[in-house]
Amino acid sequence: MAFQEKFVEADGFRIRYLEAGNGDPLIWFHGGGGLQLNKMHDLLAEKHRVVGFECPGFGESPVNERTKSMAELAGTMGKAIATLGIDKFSVSGISFGGKLALWTAILNPDKVTAAVLFAPAAIRPENTRPPMDPAQLRNMLYAHPERLPPMPPPNPELIKKSIGFALRIIGPDRDAELEARMKECKVPVLVLLGTEDRLIPTTIGRHYRELLPDSHVVMVYDAAHALDVERPEACFAVADDFLARQDKFVVSNERGVIFP
Amino acid sequence: MKAALFSPVAYHGNASPGWPVPADVYSQESAAHSFSTALDRFRLGDELGFDWVTVAEHHFSPFSLTPNPMLLAGALTQVVKKAKIAVLGPTLPMLNPVRVAEEFSMLDTITGGRVIAGLMRGTPNEYVTYNVNPEESRSRFQEGLQLLRMVWTEPQPFGWQGRHYEFRAISVWPRPVQKPHPPIYMSGSSPESGEFAAKNHVGLGFAVTTLGLATKAAAHYRQHAEAAGWKPTPDDVIYRCAIHVADTDEQAQADMANMPPQRRFSISNPALEQAVAGTSYYGRDFEAQRGRVGRPGAIKDAVENGQILLGSPDTVMKQIKRIRDDIGAGILDLIFMHPEDAKARRAIEIFGAKMLPRLHEME
Repeated sequence: MAFQEKFVEADGFRIRYLEAGNGDPLIWFHGGGGLQLNKMHDLLAEKHRVVGFECPGFGESPVNERTKSMAELAGTMGKAIATLGIDKFSVSGISFGGKLALWTAILNPDKVTAAVLFAPAAIRPENTRPPMDPAQLRNMLYAHPERLPPMPPPNPELIKKSIGFALRIIGPDRDAELEARMKECKVPVLVLLGTEDRLIPTTIGRHYRELLPDSHVVMVYDAAHALDVERPEACFAVADDFLARQDKFVVSNERGVIFP
Repeated sequence: MKAALFSPVAYHGNASPGWPVPADVYSQESAAHSFSTALDRFRLGDELGFDWVTVAEHHFSPFSLTPNPMLLAGALTQVVKKAKIAVLGPTLPMLNPVRVAEEFSMLDTITGGRVIAGLMRGTPNEYVTYNVNPEESRSRFQEGLQLLRMVWTEPQPFGWQGRHYEFRAISVWPRPVQKPHPPIYMSGSSPESGEFAAKNHVGLGFAVTTLGLATKAAAHYRQHAEAAGWKPTPDDVIYRCAIHVADTDEQAQADMANMPPQRRFSISNPALEQAVAGTSYYGRDFEAQRGRVGRPGAIKDAVENGQILLGSPDTVMKQIKRIRDDIGAGILDLIFMHPEDAKARRAIEIFGAKMLPRLHEME
């Protein structure tokens, strides 16, 4: 599934996005490193209209000194989604983008049908920060970096700009304003956590269960923070099932008959 | 040191050869007798002060009548009042890990926290039992263990998106009494298993091995544990072997004369064994691991190799000291091997009266 690069003007920003597929719209928000799609998005795009945004301040976009908070950024992105003519949608995102997706669900309860948060950075262990050194970062993002194909080294200037922006607006480790809003969130939420993630460990999952009235936590085995890169099929399968069936996804609909 | 009394609940009646073993000459009376004998011995061991009693999982053969050791452990909760009940253990790759966690939690609750959770991969033949591909043995085991731990410790319902297992919502009741969970041991004769146990901070058990192989494997485990930032204690290492003890060396030797040859049902089906050997089941130390479950040799050699403890209490204490010194094992898991009940029972009594106090004094 080939993603097309496009741009949309919204809230005074020119916002880049990648789009592929047909079906119910699914919004994707990237992590602190910027927009990079992978096999999981290709699989999702076989069933959904996937729109992966590059938030203002990431990638080649100008430095974003205007946006002050995640809620504000969610407001901007909500306008971008509306400008694309999308009224009802599911929202998903990873890490930084997980928190953005959660804010988007909270701010748009009548538009968002379901949210899937991958290793969301909305609730974080005290004082855990991603390392800035590329080699250390790679070891932190992946449980098995040795299994991944060689990747071009990231542009240090872009990473510095992106992570700097993300850290400026991400908010505290425990975000009281967000957590108060989470208790009233009407959107069904699925939280996916990698069992080897040292940035957002699995023990964080219980907070989502406690705070969100309608939430599910699923552990993705043998994946670290970049769980969608490491286990694309596993992430796709559970996310797609949740998007299709929301809370009903707890009931298996797999066929057990092996021979007719 | 600690001592465990292990019984596979062997069936002592006649049986046809091969594996799976046909039940054509099966005797219900013999099976019932095997269970009542085993329960009596477990009760006796508990009364004599054995630290643990041990049960295990084996299938489709008279070697053991406990295909589900959890069931026998459940019965033992009503018989064994002081000793810990060690289930060494369910063959994790062939079972539902959530069910295994639930069963251990039940046992831990009923006993007030006296359960030891051994997790095994199972002998090669056992992959036939529930039709599981032995090629996936290690990866199923490793995932199952991680899942089991999370099931025991995660207070909120959660789902699991594994390679081999998929669950949408797990929240087991009852919860284990021991915190964070019952002590976990795994079979660790192969280098891969020792490395995995070290990395995941679980205890190691040796069975169907020799003193030499276990010494090497225990050193490998310790080395990798150190690299992972921890130091196993003697309580982290179990060594299982057979034993016969009598009042004198001469009596013990005489008791063992004219013993019927031991049968190894698990490797008595050559085609099956070869098929499993053709997978990754044995791992990178293939030759040693495959040979480890070979046919038993002469008793004299088995004693020298640490596979059988044999003699008077003084002699056997020396043999035990060798196990402690070489392997660093702190838990001795003993199969009182004599086929005659009176002699086996007498050996248990001698061990309890004359050796357990000395064993407990050994560091």
